[in-house]
Amino acid sequence: MNHINIGLFCLALTLVSYYASKALYKKQHKTWFAPIIIAPALILIVVVTLKIDVADYFSYSHWLAAMLAPATIAFAVPIYRERLLIKQYPLTLSLGVITGLFLGLASSWLLVKWTHLPPELSHSLMVRSVSTPFAVEATTAFGGVPELTAMLVLLTGIIGMLICEPLFKIAKINSSIAKGVALGASAHGAGAAKATEIGRQEGVIASLTMIFTGIVMVIAAPLFATLIN
Amino acid sequence: MTFFGRLAPSIIKRSALAAIQVCGFCLFAWACQSVATKVSSPIPGSVIGLAILLLLLCLKLVPEKSVNLGASWLIAELLLFFIPPVVGAIKYQPLLANYGVELIAAMLAASTLVLIGTAYTVDKLFKFEHQQNLKRQQKKVNAQVIHLPSTDSTSNLATKEQKAA
Repeated sequence: MNHINIGLFCLALTLVSYYASKALYKKQHKTWFAPIIIAPALILIVVVTLKIDVADYFSYSHWLAAMLAPATIAFAVPIYRERLLIKQYPLTLSLGVITGLFLGLASSWLLVKWTHLPPELSHSLMVRSVSTPFAVEATTAFGGVPELTAMLVLLTGIIGMLICEPLFKIAKINSSIAKGVALGASAHGAGAAKATEIGRQEGVIASLTMIFTGIVMVIAAPLFATLIN
Repeated sequence: MTFFGRLAPSIIKRSALAAIQVCGFCLFAWACQSVATKVSSPIPGSVIGLAILLLLLCLKLVPEKSVNLGASWLIAELLLFFIPPVVGAIKYQPLLANYGVELIAAMLAASTLVLIGTAYTVDKLFKFEHQQNLKRQQKKVNAQVIHLPSTDSTSNLATKEQKAA
């Protein structure tokens, strides 16, 4: 196969795996079948077993990644739609975002201190709790690598999605706003998806928190980076 | 008219509208990113674009329904857009294989801290702000009662006030 065909095959593989995993999740509504786990796993397995070159994979699929920028802009619409909720709880939401962001950074920093990870990994870890489009923009300020960051962000999302319900039970968290903010701040898109399953309001709050933590992270990343180093 | 006869045009119309709006978002994103790189802005073009769109929506210069379908589609398919960067991490396969277990264990602990810490703080904050909101509403109702003592909806409270006085 020549390079163009491999590139087209990879684009098709990505689209088919994504939409198939979405369809599967509609039928099999279990957390382990979430598209965020199945789709990347499937694609990674195929790419690794067929020994496809990363450059070939990207020749067409980079157009998908380019859609992250318009998707970031689209976040303006849910913020506008939920302006009444924001006006009602400005303190809870803003301090929630700050707490989540601070804990996310602090926990990553402790993680780096206590484990002995190579610098590419440890620097990429700092922004792991914000949504991918924001994380790949912010990670360079910390000296992280965008691709590794995307992988760590994905893992953080999956972890948050899997551990949230038992944790909320143990910590006796009942209010929907607390669940929403915690999920949005710690597990971004995956957390927001999980929160939508818990309840509509949780989902809305988690999405808002995810967007705000992302924006603050991108704007403040250079400052945080100088503070940490 | 058959079921499909009625359904199909609306679906096609919605999809076409969504597609046009998505194209609009792409063009706008491209413009924002070009300007941001040209002036070497420290804030990425996409975040500037977000702020501009939010401002336009708030000023009612852009009606919500003219961006609604496109925005919903872009946000719903977000996972599809970040799969390629994740695949890019294959370049670092040996690194991830060497440190994978340690990394996941550490991330599990860190995420637990973030989830519990944030949820607990917000729970306390919410209870406080909810009380404040209730108090503010109560004050508003009381103020209305004093000005309009005889309206039906507030008559109950008004009599209470008079009794207290």
